[in-house]
Amino acid sequence: MAWRRLITTVLIIAPTLWLLAFGFTRDARYITSPLLAKEAAPFTVTLFDGRKVSLNELRGKAIFLNFWASWCTPCRAEAKDLEAAWQRVKDKNMVFLGVALQDTEKDSRAFLQEFNISYPNGWDDSGKIAVDYGVWGIPESFFIDPQGRITYKHVGGIRPALVIAKLEDAARGIVSAKEGKEDYQPIR
Amino acid sequence: MFIRPLIIVVYLLVVSPLSAADAPDIDEQTRAIAQELRCVVCQNLSVADSPSEMAQQMRGIVREQLAAGKTPQQVKDFFVSKYGQWVLLAPTTQGFSLLVWVLPFVVLIAGVVCGFWFIRRWSVKKTAGNAAVADSDLLTRIRSEAASGKALDMEPEDSSVRAQLLQERAHLYAELKELEFDFQAGKLAESDYGALKLEIENKAAGVLQQLDSFSSPPTPASQGVERQTSDKKRRLNPTRKAYRRWQLATGGLFLLLFGLTLGIALTNSSRPRESTQDSITGGFLTGTGGDQSSRFLQEGKSAFAKRDWPKAIAAFENALAADPNQPEAHAYLGFILVQAGHADGALLAFDKALSQAPNFPMALWGKGLVLLHEKQDYSAAREVLEKLVRLLPAGAERSEVEKTLAQLPQSGAVRQETKPAPAPTGQQISGKISLDPKLKGNVDRQATLFIIARPAGADKAPPLAVRKIERPVFPLSYSLGAENVMMQGIPFTGSVAVVARLDKDGNPTTRQPGDLTGDYKKNPVAVSSQNIDIVLDQAVQ
Repeated sequence: MAWRRLITTVLIIAPTLWLLAFGFTRDARYITSPLLAKEAAPFTVTLFDGRKVSLNELRGKAIFLNFWASWCTPCRAEAKDLEAAWQRVKDKNMVFLGVALQDTEKDSRAFLQEFNISYPNGWDDSGKIAVDYGVWGIPESFFIDPQGRITYKHVGGIRPALVIAKLEDAARGIVSAKEGKEDYQPIR
Repeated sequence: MFIRPLIIVVYLLVVSPLSAADAPDIDEQTRAIAQELRCVVCQNLSVADSPSEMAQQMRGIVREQLAAGKTPQQVKDFFVSKYGQWVLLAPTTQGFSLLVWVLPFVVLIAGVVCGFWFIRRWSVKKTAGNAAVADSDLLTRIRSEAASGKALDMEPEDSSVRAQLLQERAHLYAELKELEFDFQAGKLAESDYGALKLEIENKAAGVLQQLDSFSSPPTPASQGVERQTSDKKRRLNPTRKAYRRWQLATGGLFLLLFGLTLGIALTNSSRPRESTQDSITGGFLTGTGGDQSSRFLQEGKSAFAKRDWPKAIAAFENALAADPNQPEAHAYLGFILVQAGHADGALLAFDKALSQAPNFPMALWGKGLVLLHEKQDYSAAREVLEKLVRLLPAGAERSEVEKTLAQLPQSGAVRQETKPAPAPTGQQISGKISLDPKLKGNVDRQATLFIIARPAGADKAPPLAVRKIERPVFPLSYSLGAENVMMQGIPFTGSVAVVARLDKDGNPTTRQPGDLTGDYKKNPVAVSSQNIDIVLDQAVQ
């Protein structure tokens, strides 16, 4: 009788406490993306050099897609590293594509010039591409495999070694189990 | 002939109003959907209510999709497919989210059912207990005894258990008589009379049974049964008592845990929102700030803005005690130290901040300035400031840094020796403090004496060292050395201005009428000076 009562009590109390603790351990700002392992939303972006690039054209290559803004400090902090990573992989079957958002064209161009960014960069003036990728904090990076599937997502600044490692995973179609997170700045 | 005008009239009457009605409908639908979507860069604001650029763009997408013929549900599904269920302000009534809607009602119903069940159980127990006593023979006996007035055969002075039972019996019989009288007088309904009578009779039956057990000598058989019962009770009682204790302890422990969870976790995990973009979630478990450290940091910042240095230093030190990896507190302390003329301490503070956050603009700026102005280490300053320029977006702040960079001597500038001379050890200022005879009558015996050394030429800077002496007796000898330095790691070097204050309330940050002050007349002095005698000769008005 006593054991039955004890078990009943624990069965009632334990889930309540677990629920309470679970709530407290959540970062209310953090949004887990449902896009991992899903097909990347197709888009066409006009690059700052006037050319147009569509995601479909890049099929068959591992893609590093990076959302940034010139006013975002973590974006500025990672800019040089990204260019360095690009220099290391540009001769492989890999593509870097930057997308500026919530920024003026002038500031974005100045940013690219300042950090000598040589990989293609475009401008999402309507914010549609950002919404398509569920972007909420920048820099935000997506890795897309040659079949067009998102294999990894990273919110915040990313180290060049991680960029290369995750691109190599993407090239082999390996999907990461979790998203990455570093210092980020919420978009406006 | 009339067909064409007729078509036009029909078009104007039917088609045109419909087209006109389309626009507000889409706007309304957009607003309705936006009300249900969460602004992804705000806290608990809908896309409709948020002024953010992101929310504007999301509203635009909603409108565009509606105009393209998508249903409201399809539009919401689109956002859910990008951001997850989280983007809906009200969770869906499907799948796991259904629990959020159903669970509160299930818990409510379960609570009500449990409540009823317990109440019913208690009432059944009570009735069953009473009913067991009242058999028909006893009831007959009670009724006849109550009618005959047998209740009076007792000793009024007797205080034994039997006497108490007799008293109780008399009382119950009197109640029965009274009840009968009220019923006959028509003061009671028949149903109430019946229920009350049964209740009193049952009580009386219990009392009679106990009385009978006093009066009848126990038979060997009954003694055996009693012994067995009492043995069993004795065996059961300790178990039951232990069980009760265990129940109480478990209940108490649960309440304690629940209270701690709510009291500690809730207060530490939430904080007042500082802006619409801010989160109310604190950093106790989520790592988003809002813990004690952040509170002290806020205190420190507001004290810093008011140039209340002692309060700012105390708050930043508290912030660092709560979280030693707080780069902002280190950086602010660095700026305070710069103002106090402690370049080495400031550099140390900025480096500590940068070891935690290598791209922290405030610490980079501070370090750059110290290297430039205090250390004249131009190449190091250039390196730091150039990094800062890379991090700062175009704007006033960046222009300021660029301007500073432009002022730096170009290549060829000789790097200065940046290492400070080793701090001399054992340096002390010593002397005597006495009272001006004219002010002897003004002395408060409970007052506290503060001997303060400030960096020379920095009257408003925070003190370098302070010594506190409670209830001093004048004249007194004093010494001020490295052990009295306010901030750990700051060397007691250079020249300082020494002052003393006899403070009535013992609070070094406030000056009030009645406080006595005095300073060394030949300030500033080197930190190794002797005979630095001070006379307290001024009274604060």
